[in-house]
Amino acid sequence: MPHLVLDLHLVLDPHLVLDKVSIHYDGQAEPAVERVSIDVAKGDFVVLVGRSGCGKTSLLNVAAGLVAPARGTASINGKPITAPGSDRAVVFQNDALFPWLTARENVAFALRLRGVRPAERARRADELLALVKLTDAGDKRIWELSGGMRQRVGLARALAAEPEFLLLDEPLGALDALTRERMQTTLLDLWTASDVGVLMVTHGIEEALVLATRIVVLAPGPGRVVRSFEPGFSRRYASGEAIRTIKADPAFAAARGELTDAIFEGEAA
Amino acid sequence: MTVTSYTERPGHKIDEADGLSVPWSRPSPKRKGVSARAVSVVTILVVLALWALSARLQLVSPVFLPSPVAVWNKFITVARDGFVDATLLQHAVASLGRVFAALVAAILIGVPVGLAIGISTIGRGIFDPLLEFLRPIPPLAYLPLVIIWFGIGEPSKILVIAIAMLAPVALSTASGVRGVSQERINAARSLGATQRQVVRHVILPSALPAILTGLRIALGAGWSTLVAAELVAATRGLGFMIQSAAQFLVTDVVVMGILVIAAIAFVLEFTLRRIERVLVPWAGRE
Repeated sequence: MPHLVLDLHLVLDPHLVLDKVSIHYDGQAEPAVERVSIDVAKGDFVVLVGRSGCGKTSLLNVAAGLVAPARGTASINGKPITAPGSDRAVVFQNDALFPWLTARENVAFALRLRGVRPAERARRADELLALVKLTDAGDKRIWELSGGMRQRVGLARALAAEPEFLLLDEPLGALDALTRERMQTTLLDLWTASDVGVLMVTHGIEEALVLATRIVVLAPGPGRVVRSFEPGFSRRYASGEAIRTIKADPAFAAARGELTDAIFEGEAA
Repeated sequence: MTVTSYTERPGHKIDEADGLSVPWSRPSPKRKGVSARAVSVVTILVVLALWALSARLQLVSPVFLPSPVAVWNKFITVARDGFVDATLLQHAVASLGRVFAALVAAILIGVPVGLAIGISTIGRGIFDPLLEFLRPIPPLAYLPLVIIWFGIGEPSKILVIAIAMLAPVALSTASGVRGVSQERINAARSLGATQRQVVRHVILPSALPAILTGLRIALGAGWSTLVAAELVAATRGLGFMIQSAAQFLVTDVVVMGILVIAAIAFVLEFTLRRIERVLVPWAGRE
């Protein structure tokens, strides 16, 4: 029965799929995004890049279930996406943490929603805080944390929901350069350890190259896919190569040039 | 008359500073002497002195303006022996009891109404005009109607105060709810929160600073309708005490009662600010 085999394949191998998605905002003549298809499998790290107005955040919001596509479908494991769900936890650029809770309680938020007992959720939250290298920050209030620490809390909070996919909306955009670099390795470590599928939006070209298994380049007016890369540097990091060595590789510089060209292709000089 | 340029103001010549320092960026030393608080204390003392002086010189008859000393003595006697069958403490407790009962009622009704206004269009459509209608009416205007409907008992008095408190509680809650960041709500939903959980775990705590501010305003509004509420058929209460005293022209009790009401209002305001700082330490830090 080939049918059954196909179904099993979908169950065993989770996919987050945007299929020919168009997005149209009320009161705008042009669609924001036209017929974009993206397939994120479990274990993928897909990064959306492109100039402003290319609709990358809109696409992420469709995957999150926060925006409904005008045409096309968004689905997770074959089921249509109609609302946000903890199988696709989102991390936003502005951490969106809850200031009335401690860092630990923020991380435990998803578990609290599910009615997990306090002792158990504190234990789990501490594990996740350790995973994002914030072992001692559990009792801290949100306003006592730096921007980088907040994003770590945000990541841990998303992971606590045990999502199959992580949706990252420029999570490192508001951080300074050094913190951002450190956070990139944290992201890679988490991704390697947990095997989630990641869909991320970023402005950072180098960031995209370091993190992505696949880079999707979008162009504006209306938003569409212009190119797709498979840089492979994050796999090299996952198999033990140091991030500095990777960035120093001439192949990295070449890829950066190629990606930059792809992003700015067709832009009026 | 000579025009002095800014760089050459007398006694402020740039050349006199050492070469590297930039005089205008130096932290300006705190202006000496006056703080607002000191000025306030002086003001109060001056008012008291004027009061004492005009009473002393008998500029106005003591029937109309008792001296500060007479008022203070009255405070002591009423606190000890009472006035119209109750001590000052009993009057104050009766009034505070009404105001707090009204506050509880205003919270129980006002917070859900405010949530409804802030969250749903239909809720806003229903409650906004009602509140806007209720808000500007002075308590003395609806007092007769409340008495006709609910009699002259304790519930009427509490109701009059609660009506005055309702609008500030509900409107502050609503504005707090409307101010909740969409990103926070989205984050909670993507972590699996249901609509109800979003309200309970995100919207309510986010709106808490605004709700507490509303309570503070409401307490002020309720306290200031106290005299109106105790106008009819009360046997205890600060407002009642003032009115009874006024009927017998016992002006020193009237003045003393006013000062006690003001003092309690001040303490309430202060206490609520402290509570706010403990309950919502994150307010203003985001």
